[in-house]
Amino acid sequence: MNVVLNICRFNPEVDVKPYFQEFTVLVEEHNTVLDALLQAWQQDPGLSFRRSCRSAICGSCALCINGRPGLACQTLIRNAITEDGRITLEPLPHFRQLKDLVVDLDPFFESLKAVVPWVVIRDNHDGRMTPEVARKLESPATCILCGVCHAAMDDPGEVKPAALVKGLRLALDPRDVLGAARLQLMKVPRDILRLFIKNLPEKCPKGITVPEDVCHV
Amino acid sequence: MLMHEVLVVGGGLAGLMAALVASQKADVAVLSKIYPTRSHSGAAQGGFNAALGEDDSIEDHIFDTVKGSDYLGDQDAIEVLCSEGPEVILELERMGVPWTRTPEGRVAQRSLGGAGFPRACFAADFSGHVVLHTLFEQVLRRGIKIYPEWHLVELLVEDGQVAGVLAYDLARARLEVIRSKAVILATGGYGRAFAKTTNAHANTGDGMAIAYRAGAILSDMEFVQFHPTTLYGTNILISEAARGEGGYLRNCHGERFMVHYAPQKMELAPRDVVSRAIFKEIKEGRGFEGQYVHLDLTHLGEALVAERLPQVRDLAIRYAGVDPASAPMPIEPAQHYSMGGVRTDVWGMTSLPGLLAAGEVANVSVHGANRLGGNSLLETVVFGRRAGHRAAQLARQEPWPTLSAATITRAYESWSSLLAGRGQGVQEDSTFAIRQEMTNLMTNQVGVFRVGSELEDAVNRLAKLKERYQKLKPPGGVQPFNYALMDYLEVGYLLDLCEIIARGALRRTESRGAHYRLDYPQRDDQNWLCHTFVRRGEDRPEFSNGPVKITRYAPQERGY
Repeated sequence: MNVVLNICRFNPEVDVKPYFQEFTVLVEEHNTVLDALLQAWQQDPGLSFRRSCRSAICGSCALCINGRPGLACQTLIRNAITEDGRITLEPLPHFRQLKDLVVDLDPFFESLKAVVPWVVIRDNHDGRMTPEVARKLESPATCILCGVCHAAMDDPGEVKPAALVKGLRLALDPRDVLGAARLQLMKVPRDILRLFIKNLPEKCPKGITVPEDVCHV
Repeated sequence: MLMHEVLVVGGGLAGLMAALVASQKADVAVLSKIYPTRSHSGAAQGGFNAALGEDDSIEDHIFDTVKGSDYLGDQDAIEVLCSEGPEVILELERMGVPWTRTPEGRVAQRSLGGAGFPRACFAADFSGHVVLHTLFEQVLRRGIKIYPEWHLVELLVEDGQVAGVLAYDLARARLEVIRSKAVILATGGYGRAFAKTTNAHANTGDGMAIAYRAGAILSDMEFVQFHPTTLYGTNILISEAARGEGGYLRNCHGERFMVHYAPQKMELAPRDVVSRAIFKEIKEGRGFEGQYVHLDLTHLGEALVAERLPQVRDLAIRYAGVDPASAPMPIEPAQHYSMGGVRTDVWGMTSLPGLLAAGEVANVSVHGANRLGGNSLLETVVFGRRAGHRAAQLARQEPWPTLSAATITRAYESWSSLLAGRGQGVQEDSTFAIRQEMTNLMTNQVGVFRVGSELEDAVNRLAKLKERYQKLKPPGGVQPFNYALMDYLEVGYLLDLCEIIARGALRRTESRGAHYRLDYPQRDDQNWLCHTFVRRGEDRPEFSNGPVKITRYAPQERGY
């Protein structure tokens, strides 16, 4: 089937401001938006967008699809196409556009540092963890740092959502010596954290859930 | 000019492990063409082999690996791999890896193919992902400098010694020289040489090709692993853990056909054996629509599938429209892993002074002719650690190597024409067209089953593709995020590697591990119990044979 991709273009070397360009590509409806983008790239090799794993585990192809942030490789054409056969693709909002669909990720990765993003291991830790606790860590540990959460949410504070997820996952880790102190580190009031935890699964392309009882840690 | 005592190229498991260890004693930076957390290591699902269990032993792990390698693995390197496994798992545990646990709270282990024991430590089916992110956390902790979205374009060699690199910063569209005392390549494999592959778009063999061009020896490049179970059509990986947890392979008659090929190990036979079995079933008319077979998990129950294989389930639902908890998945084999690579010793040292390598880009030869599931993740951390250690040692002992203005100028000049060129736009031929023909050729003629006449034809056709490639105008033009330029370079790397793989496969007139010749179906220890070494010659690769290190286990017939 033919699909019209309406793609936001911007080359800082020549363009004063972003504009839209249409590409008509031939794809199957079970193909992904990434498949369609790869077709558009063949038509114009100058088109810039990130991609790598094509199986929703690397997070490279995060962008805005019909106004909604998501992963191009995870979104099927049939779920993205509008009635008039179009799909609009833009860079992630809340990020600085560098070229076409490529955004500046440095501040996003930089913000991880705000939460001491590693396990501060207890000296006396014996290397064991109950399966119940391990299961609690599992979902937040699947964060792929794609940035979709940051694009999809109103920023809850200085610390970006992915950093919050990392901080909450570490607060739940029995090996970590900081534990509850991590909630202070995040500089986010607990009621706002609870709201964040509640909203996260529907914004996150991995559907990440954080147990709400972390707020009682 | 930038300077780092140790420069790690590649931000996956091997690269980050090397950087962490080296950073204890030296100034280290990581250069990576994608952000490190986006490395292909993160797609690894199954687990890390290590003999932790009371009934298991390092000895058993060594033997399983030697046998799995079809006796082409170097046994001294395999001993290192298996012996250091348990301590590396403990180290990762203390870094904060969220492993799946046993009821007693220990790191849980599962069965993968070719192992005599549930030996793979895992985190559901996100094993590579969680370890990659944990190592990244440690890199942040140590404040290691990262150059993300920088591409290695050339190793700068002076008097036979690697003295630094020329790199291309994609965001700023400019070339930079980074001087170093040691460069560790950890750039992964070349899966994108094949049309059907589980590999990420980024896996274009850059490090292998660049090392080869700089004069390093590659080895065993004809050994290409095909993963038996990838989703039909997209070739997205369905982890061996799906069979490790009890999944069945069935043909169109509903029969568990592995009984005819590996009656003892059944679905958990090594990947080469299972891949050939699936192709044979399809070829002989027992596949579905003549194209695929089924991987059936329905008897495992929804709870187990949800707990142990959540990612597999998501992937199958999304990309194949099948929930594996209630219906079998359509699967076919596809390229997965490169056994060959830049030849190294057990410390990651290559034939080029100042250059080290670890992970899939390297061939220390722990996998020989066929890799067992769970051993590649282990290899990345064990040999990444060793390469990091040795590189830091070099940085302590050695003075800064000479890097003359002449070398830098020559490199700059040859590459800056690419940057400034304006070849992009309409031309008769394209990298897209060449890439498509190359990858189809490799899948169809240099795949699971190989035969002399087709390999010869592949070599000839690859030479023609190379001629076409050389006529292309490089898509330069100084602009940020010029992916067309990167694509152009990557196809050039892949063409070099494809030629080596196809020529190597044509040269090896036997069947061993993943290399299966229909015209030479037997293993031939008399003539071919040897590594293939290859280095760049005047106008084509030059091949030679190298000895296989055999310490304890004499080759015997490999039955499962």
